[in-house]
Amino acid sequence: MRNFITPRYYLPALMIFILLLIPLFISSPYILHIMAMVLFWAYLASAWNIVGGFAGQLSLGHGVYVAAGAYVSSLLFANIGLSPWFGMIIGGLVAALLGVIVGYPTLRLRGAYYALATVGFAEGFRVILINTTKIGSWHTGGAEGFLVPLLGDAPQHMQFMSKVPYYYLALVLLLIIVGFSFWLDRSKLGYYLTAIREDEDAALALGINTARAKLIAAALSAFFTGVGGVYYAQLIRYLEPNAIAGAIMSNQIVFLAIVGGRGTVLGPVIGGIFLTIIGEMTRILFDQVMGLHLFLYGIIVVLFVIFKPRGLIELVEKPYEKLVKMLNGRRVEGAS
Amino acid sequence: MALLEIDNISVYYGEMCVLRDVSAQIDSGEIICVVGANGAGKSTLINTISGLLKPKTGKILFNGEVISKLEPYQIVEKGVIQVPEGRRLFPNMSVEENLLIGSYTPTSRKKRKENMEKVFTLLPRLAERRKQIARTMSGGEQQMLAIGRALMADPKLLMLDEPSLGLAPKMVSHVLELIQNIAAQGVTILLVEQNVYHALKLCNRGYVLENGSITLMGTAEELLNNPHVKKAYLGL
Repeated sequence: MRNFITPRYYLPALMIFILLLIPLFISSPYILHIMAMVLFWAYLASAWNIVGGFAGQLSLGHGVYVAAGAYVSSLLFANIGLSPWFGMIIGGLVAALLGVIVGYPTLRLRGAYYALATVGFAEGFRVILINTTKIGSWHTGGAEGFLVPLLGDAPQHMQFMSKVPYYYLALVLLLIIVGFSFWLDRSKLGYYLTAIREDEDAALALGINTARAKLIAAALSAFFTGVGGVYYAQLIRYLEPNAIAGAIMSNQIVFLAIVGGRGTVLGPVIGGIFLTIIGEMTRILFDQVMGLHLFLYGIIVVLFVIFKPRGLIELVEKPYEKLVKMLNGRRVEGAS
Repeated sequence: MALLEIDNISVYYGEMCVLRDVSAQIDSGEIICVVGANGAGKSTLINTISGLLKPKTGKILFNGEVISKLEPYQIVEKGVIQVPEGRRLFPNMSVEENLLIGSYTPTSRKKRKENMEKVFTLLPRLAERRKQIARTMSGGEQQMLAIGRALMADPKLLMLDEPSLGLAPKMVSHVLELIQNIAAQGVTILLVEQNVYHALKLCNRGYVLENGSITLMGTAEELLNNPHVKKAYLGL
């Protein structure tokens, strides 16, 4: 039997354990909300990473999938009372379908076409959301936005008055996407995606159906992003087209993943956690001058990109490996 | 019936004609070489057979079946594999990972273990270095790996695009010897080379490609003794 009491196993377990305990020590709903958002951004960045990192195809319109998940689940919830728990699956599938629609014609091309198509598609989608107030008899709110009906404490509809369940839900989502990325990294599909990222011509010559592999990655990425959108809708309970489908949402996701380390399992998670916390801190500390916090945030990001071009993961990887080695060494000594 | 039959194909890059009415055939078990100068269209020929480029006119048959309309991955599935010019390894993957990528097709995936053993027997150097990252290997080793990766797909027809490119003379003869060993195992070989003398020494028959057309063909001996080949390619 494999020995599970090695640092390789207990260090991650310890980290998850600490994350599980956090709500016991924090009672401020504001801080819990921020913590949930931190995990949520890490989740979105990881979802983007499937197509943007592993497959190396730059998507600049992931806001579409967030919006698709959020709107689809919320409209079904408000109009026919479908629980957002089921809405997660439907919202995710709709997002995946949109991902295939953008990707199918453009992922067989090389170069910037896919990236351009995602930008155009996202912008178009945002404008449609703003200008559509009704789908059939269902109100979507248009530019005013859409208020998700609040039922109070209704766990069966993913609604809670406390922030604690939202925190745990974000944590579960994050663990699922990290587990998936971990599997993907070692899977056949993961190999093909890496091959495509490294040398698409060679991958093609070796008989890899590159267009299909990229499309699967795009659909998976969109699916997980759509699921995230459903969560977002229930946490924020107000959908505003510009905020949810706009460039800020799309760019933020890309930003976190690239600064964290695209194409790695944990890079986007680290990017999401660090940058969201830094963003919040600059916002709190420098609130006297409008916009100053964004300026400082930008400078910090630029510094990271200059000094750690492979991503923040570089900062974490080596000390972590050292720690594992050290703990391993101690164990061996103790055993002898 | 020929294993591969190229029937009067013409290939264009936009308006420019790169291959004009090229016909050739390869029988099972042969080693065929295509020689010609830089820019004669040798790589284009291989890429067209692989399906990376589509001929504007004419067709290509493999085992009597038209493959010139298929996608590259379908052609690889039929057993037509190329070792691309300049090796095109996945630089940040290990030797083992590069080999695994080679066994994509449904049929070769089942024989993955067996094929990997075969490759390691044929190329013991790779077995020693299975965990090494591809880009840190020497040019010769990288070429070996590129050939090994192609063998993982269980080729019936193996096409090699300038395998001697950029290698030290000693390594060149090593690679050519390897190609001979692969042929001895029943794999048909299509070799494209600028290193005309070595290539003709190795093969059964050859074609000379000049400016996109086949100007000469014959047995290796005939070509080696042909005055034009002697003058233009062998410097005699």
